[in-house]
Amino acid sequence: MKKLYLVLTVLVLAALVLPACGPTTPDCTKEEVFCVGLVTDVGKIDDKSFNQSAWEGVKQAESELGAIVQYIETTDAKDYAKNIATFADEGYDVIVTVGFNLGVDTRAAAPTYPNVKFIGIDQDQFEGTIDNVSGLVFPEDQAGFLVGALAAMMTETGKVGGVFGTDAVPPVWRFGEGYRAGAAYIDPAVEVFVVYHSDVGFDKTFTDPEWGAATAKSMIDQGADVIFGGGGKTGNGAVEGAAQAGAYAIGVDSDQYYTLPNAAPRLLSSAMKLITPGVFDLIKLAKDGSFPAGNFYGDAGYAPYHDLDSMVPAEVKAKMEEIAAALLDGSLKTNVPPVKP
Amino acid sequence: MDWKRFGFIALIIAVLFTIVVLIGGKSQPAILIISSMLGTTIAVATPLTLGALSGIYCERSGVVNIGIEGMMLAAAFFGWLGAIYMSSIFGFQALPSLLVGLLIAMLTGGLFAALHALLSVTFKVDQIIGGTVINILAVGVTGFLNRQLFFEKGSIFGGQVPHGPGTFTTIYIPIDKAVNGLCGLLGSDCSVAAKAASDVLSQKPIAMAAVLLVVVSHYILFNTRWGLRTRAVGEHPKAADTVGINVTFMRYANVIIGGALAGLGGAYMTLESIASFEPLMTNGRGFIALAAMIFGNWTPFGAWSAALVFGASQAFQIKLQLFRELIPAQWSFLQNAYVVGMVPYLLTMLILTGIIGKNIPPAADGVAYEK
Repeated sequence: MKKLYLVLTVLVLAALVLPACGPTTPDCTKEEVFCVGLVTDVGKIDDKSFNQSAWEGVKQAESELGAIVQYIETTDAKDYAKNIATFADEGYDVIVTVGFNLGVDTRAAAPTYPNVKFIGIDQDQFEGTIDNVSGLVFPEDQAGFLVGALAAMMTETGKVGGVFGTDAVPPVWRFGEGYRAGAAYIDPAVEVFVVYHSDVGFDKTFTDPEWGAATAKSMIDQGADVIFGGGGKTGNGAVEGAAQAGAYAIGVDSDQYYTLPNAAPRLLSSAMKLITPGVFDLIKLAKDGSFPAGNFYGDAGYAPYHDLDSMVPAEVKAKMEEIAAALLDGSLKTNVPPVKP
Repeated sequence: MDWKRFGFIALIIAVLFTIVVLIGGKSQPAILIISSMLGTTIAVATPLTLGALSGIYCERSGVVNIGIEGMMLAAAFFGWLGAIYMSSIFGFQALPSLLVGLLIAMLTGGLFAALHALLSVTFKVDQIIGGTVINILAVGVTGFLNRQLFFEKGSIFGGQVPHGPGTFTTIYIPIDKAVNGLCGLLGSDCSVAAKAASDVLSQKPIAMAAVLLVVVSHYILFNTRWGLRTRAVGEHPKAADTVGINVTFMRYANVIIGGALAGLGGAYMTLESIASFEPLMTNGRGFIALAAMIFGNWTPFGAWSAALVFGASQAFQIKLQLFRELIPAQWSFLQNAYVVGMVPYLLTMLILTGIIGKNIPPAADGVAYEK
C-alpha cells in the first residue's frame, strides 16, 4: 500500500511539474499578444446555430488577425460572471459574451475591467453607453418579416406556423412577431400559429428538440404547411420535425441548409442574423483601436432556397427581393417594437 | 388495480382536452383537435413511459436509479452514432441502420446500468451518488465525442454532420378502412372520424413498443416467478435470501433490464422523433419519468397513465398557444405558457400528499443488501 502511495505521489508531482516543460501558453497580459475569449450562453459551442456562429467569427479573428482564441461553455446561468472574470483576470483583450441573458453580467463586469473590450451579442445598450461595451444587435424582426412573407406566399393551406424558444428573450420575440407581421403584410387572411416554449426555464427552453418536433407536428395537424423554427436546438427540432412531415421548413440564425442535413431537402430558407461577420468586424475594430461603444447593428437577411429553388415561383423571388430592399432602405417598416411591451 | 387513481388521471386528461375543444371548437372540428392532441400526448409520453418503466424495474428490485436521464442521453447519442456509421460509412439501407442503432442504444443503456449496479449493489455506494455520477458521465461523454466527431474541422466527419438514415417510419394501421366499411354498411359517412382514429393508432415502432412493454412489464412483475422474486428482493432482501433467491443477481439483472428500457427511450429521441443528436437533448425527461413512476405508485400501468398526463398537459399547452386569439378574455391567463406548464408538477405533488390513495415505495428501495 505504501508503494502505491509513493507511485501516486510521484504521478501527482509529475502532473504539476510537466506542464511547465510543455509549450508555454501565450501570456495575454503582454501588450503585443492579442487574446479573444468567448463565453457561451447555457448550451454548447456546437449548437449548429447561435454560439457556433459567434465562435466562427472569433475563429476568423484567429486566422486573419492572429488572435489567440479560447472559449468557455457556460453550464449554469449562475456562472456567467465567473466565466467572464476568468478571461478578464487572464488579461484577455476582447471578451465576446453570447446571448441576451449575459447582458447584465457583461455590463456589470465592464467597469471592473476597463482595459477589456466587451462584445455582447444580442445585448442592446439602450440603458446607456459604457465605453468598453459594444452590443451587437440585429433587426431580427426584419429577418422574421422576410421569412414570414415567404411563408405566406408559399403556403397552400393558408396556415403557417412558428416554433420558438422563449418570448422572454427579446431577439427571439422579435423573430416571432416579425414573422407574424411579414405573413400579415402579404395576406392578412393567412393564419399564423406562434408557439413559445416558455413553460420551462431559460436553461431548457433552447435545448429541447423533441418538444420542437412535437409542436411542429401539432401545427401541421392543424393545417399549417410552412414551419419556422427559431431558438437554438428547440428550433432545430421543429425544422426537422416539419421536414419529416413533408411541410416546408424555415431555419434560423445561420443558413441551416448546412447544419441540418436531414431537413435540407425541405428547407425553404433561413432567417439569418449575420453573427459571424458582425463578431469579426467588432473584434477587428477593437484591435485597430476604434472600438464602437453602444449598439452596433449587424445585418439580417434570408438564406438561399437551395434544393427548393425550382419550387419557388419567379414572382415570389422577385417579391422577396423587393421586400428585402424596402426593409433595408427603411421604406417598409415591420412595426415590431424592440422589446415585448 | 388502483381504479381510484386511474379515474382521477382519466378525469384530468378529459378536463384538459375538453377545455381545448371548448376554445378551439369554433375554428376546427372537435375530432381533429382531439386526434391531434392525442398524437402529441403519445409522442411526449413515449420517452417518459420507457423511462418510468426503467425506474420501476430498478426500484422494484431495491435500487434507486436517478441516472435514467444520463442513460437516455448516452443511448440517444450512441444509438444515433451507430445508425450514422451503418448508413454513411458502411453504406447500409435506412432500416437496418436504424435497427442496429436501436440495438446499440439499448446496449448502451444496459452498460451504463451495469455500472450503476456495480456501484450500488457490489460496492454499496450511496445510490443517489451513483445515479448522479451516471448523469454527469453521460453529459460529458456525449458532449465530448459529439464535438470530436462532428464539430472540429479536423474531426472524423470533417466538421459536417453526415446525412443520417432518417427516422423510423409510421406503421400504418388500416383502422380507417374498417371504420369506413362499417359506416358504409350503416349508410352514413364517417371518413373524418375514421381518419382521426387511424392517425392516432398509426404510430412509429418505439411508441407502439412502449405501450406493449407496459402490458408485458405488468405481467412480468405481478404474474411470473421472476416478478415475484424481483419484488421480494426489493421489499425484504433478507427474507428472499433465506429462501435461496440470489439478491445480487436479481438486482443486477433488473437494473440492467431497466437500463435497456431507458436506452430504448433514448433511441426514441434520435431514431424516431428527430433524426439528429443535440447535446443535453434529454432535457430532464429522465427525472420527469421518475416523477411519473412515483405518480403511478411503482406500477407499469400507473406510470404509463402518469406519462400520459404529462403528455396531455404538453398538448394542452401547445394547442392553447395555437388558439390564442380564441381564448375568452376572462381566461386570458391561460395564454401564459408557464401557468399550464406547472400542471403536471402540481398534480405530482397533489398525488404525493396521498389524497387519492397512498403511495408506497418498495420497502428496501435504496438500501444496499448486507448479508
